[in-house]
Amino acid sequence: MKKLPFLIVLIILVILTVLSALVSNSGIGNGPQYIMLLSALKFLAVAFYFMELRHANTFWKVLLIGCLTIFIGLVLII
Amino acid sequence: MNQATTKSSLYYPPGGILMWIIIYLELITFGAVLVAMVWYSKDEPQLFHESRLLLNTSFGAINTLFLLVSGFFMALTVGSLKTQNISKSKLYLKLTMLGGLLFLGLKTLEYSDKIDAGLTMGYNTFFSFYWMLTLFHVIHVIVGLVILASVLRTMVKKPENLIIEDVEASATFWHMCDLVWLLLFPVIYLIF
Repeated sequence: MKKLPFLIVLIILVILTVLSALVSNSGIGNGPQYIMLLSALKFLAVAFYFMELRHANTFWKVLLIGCLTIFIGLVLII
Repeated sequence: MNQATTKSSLYYPPGGILMWIIIYLELITFGAVLVAMVWYSKDEPQLFHESRLLLNTSFGAINTLFLLVSGFFMALTVGSLKTQNISKSKLYLKLTMLGGLLFLGLKTLEYSDKIDAGLTMGYNTFFSFYWMLTLFHVIHVIVGLVILASVLRTMVKKPENLIIEDVEASATFWHMCDLVWLLLFPVIYLIF
């Protein structure tokens, strides 16, 4: 088993988490949009790498991306 | 120990079709309540902003890191098991559970602070959502830890009875706790 790809994903996830907190505290314009985008990236990284969804049928991938898109879209539109 | 067949991996997601149906139902449930929270925030934006500032963002961020690292070790547990390395799997699974326990420990500290400050479920709309969503998530983490403890017990006592599909399903449930938290954290702690 190769640990390196998982480790790289973990490091990216940690960086994205720190970035989210920095964006939130910076008070920059469009902050919520950036925060939700960063969260969506983390969500997809966990699903596709840690949960190995990348090996699953396209149906499951499309369904997950669809659910996430609807959720993020609703949060940002409301 | 059984190995997942190539055919099943083509047609079913890792962890099994049933587990993924549960995951989608959970995501829809949490997602709907979070959308409702954002909807309610439009009626009282100032209250939601001030209430959000009463939360400790550092606790939320550290808890995110605990769950992400725990998820990382869970992925390594499954990977090691697939290469028949039981001893490493045991170590990684223990580290996975440690991440979950640290999450619960910090959450307990956070809850204690909120209760001491009188920020309970009935305090205002924001905190009603905060308690409902985070407590429901905590219940999932506790259930996940019980499932992982059961896997660890089999790994230690009767490793020959270990079925890789069962471990994958348990791992998928555990990762689901990560996924849900990754939706909760930004909405509750950051965007208002």
